[in-house]
Amino acid sequence: MNILIQFLQNMALAAVPAVGFGLVFNVPRSALVYCAAGGAIGRGLRFLLITAGMPIELATFVAASVVSLLGVYIAQRLRAHPKVFTVAAMIPMIPGVPFFTALLAVVEIQRRGLTPELLNTAITSGLRAMFIVAALAVGLALPGLLFYRRKPVV
Amino acid sequence: MIPNQSTAPVPLPHTEPVQREITRLCIETGLMLLQHGAESALVESVTRRLGLALGVRSVEVAIMANALTVTTLSEDHCITTVRRNEDRGINMHMVTEVQRAMLAVEAGELDRTGFRTRIESIKPERYPRWVVALMIGLSCACFARLAQMSLPATEDRSWDWFGLGLTFAASSTAMLVRQWFAARHFNPLVNFFASAFVATSIAGQGVIYKLGLHPKIAMASCVLLLVPGFPMINSISDMVKGYINTGLSRGMMAVLLGSATSAGIILAMTVWNVWGWL
Repeated sequence: MNILIQFLQNMALAAVPAVGFGLVFNVPRSALVYCAAGGAIGRGLRFLLITAGMPIELATFVAASVVSLLGVYIAQRLRAHPKVFTVAAMIPMIPGVPFFTALLAVVEIQRRGLTPELLNTAITSGLRAMFIVAALAVGLALPGLLFYRRKPVV
Repeated sequence: MIPNQSTAPVPLPHTEPVQREITRLCIETGLMLLQHGAESALVESVTRRLGLALGVRSVEVAIMANALTVTTLSEDHCITTVRRNEDRGINMHMVTEVQRAMLAVEAGELDRTGFRTRIESIKPERYPRWVVALMIGLSCACFARLAQMSLPATEDRSWDWFGLGLTFAASSTAMLVRQWFAARHFNPLVNFFASAFVATSIAGQGVIYKLGLHPKIAMASCVLLLVPGFPMINSISDMVKGYINTGLSRGMMAVLLGSATSAGIILAMTVWNVWGWL
C-alpha cells in the first residue's frame, strides 16, 4: 500500500479513539477537537518516523513532544492545562496490547509452569509497554522540563 | 522543579477567621483537582497560587495517595488542615473549571466569597452514556483496524469488516457494563474484571465460529477500553516531576486494574475454551 494512503489512514484512525477516550475523561466540548487533532498528528508522525527506520520508543517520544509543544500554544488560548486534552491525544499510542500480553503471560507462567517462551513474552512485552508509556509521559512533560521551569504554562 | 517556598510580594494582615476560610478554600480546590485525576504538580501549583492570590504569605501542600494536607502561613500564624481523598473518576471538565476559577482570582475578578460560590456551582458534567459507549466501540474498532494494518506482509491486510463489527459490538457492550458498575459504586477492580469478561466473551465467539479474517485481533482490541492510560501517564509524569510517592501509588493502581482485566480475560477464555492471546 502507498505510504501516503497508510499515513492518512493512520491519522484518521487515531483521531477517533482520541475523541472516544476524551469523552470518557470528560474533556470539555470545546477541547475535543484538539484531542482529535493531537491524536492524528501524534500517531501520523510516529508512523512516518517508524517507516523511516526509527525505533518505536524514540518515535513515540518525538511524536509526544511535538503534540505537547503544540498543546502549550492551544492551552494558553483555551485557558486550561495542556494535560486536559493532550493525554486523550496520547491514547492511540498507548501500548495496550503489550501491557495485557505481559500480564496474561505472568498468569500463564503461574498456571502452566515456567517456559522460556512465556518468560520471554512476559518480559519483552512488559518492557515494551513500560518504555513506550515512559516515552509518552516524558514527551508530554517536555515543555515543563525545558521551557516552563519556574513559571506555570497557564 | 517547582520551588518549595513561595512568597507573595506584599502580604496583607489577616484575622484568624479569614485565614481559616482561605485555608478551607485552598484545600477544597486542591481536593477537587486530586479527586478528578489531575497530576500532582497541577494540584500543588493551583492550590498555592490560589492561596497567594487570596493574600496569605505562603501555602505548603503535601499530597499523599489518599489524603491532602495544606498549611497556610499569614503573619506568624499557621493553619494546617487535612482532607481525605476519594477517587471520583477522571473528569477534565472539573479540572478546567477549577483552574479557570483560580485564574479569575489571580486576575482580581473574584474575591473569597465569589470564588466559593463559583467552585460550589461547578457540577461534574458527564457525556450521555450511550454516546460514550458508541464512541468507545468505534475507538476499539479503529484500534482493530490499526492492528490489521500493521500485520506482517505475509498476512491479508485488507479491511476485515466482520472483525471490526465484532470488536465494535464487544467493546460497546463492555463500556455499558463498565458504566453500569461504576454508577453503582462498585470497586473499580471488580468493574474492570466484569467488563473484560463480557468483552472477551463476545469477541471470543469470532474465534469459536471462525468468523472474519483475523478473529484474534478482535479479541485483543475489544479490551483496549480497559487500559488505564490516564493513571499510567500521570504516574510517570508525577515521578519525573519529583512526586515519587503519588507516582508509585498511581502506577500500582494502573497495574492492579490491568491485572483485574487480565483475570477477566482469563476467566472468559477458560469458560469458552478459546485461547486468543498467547
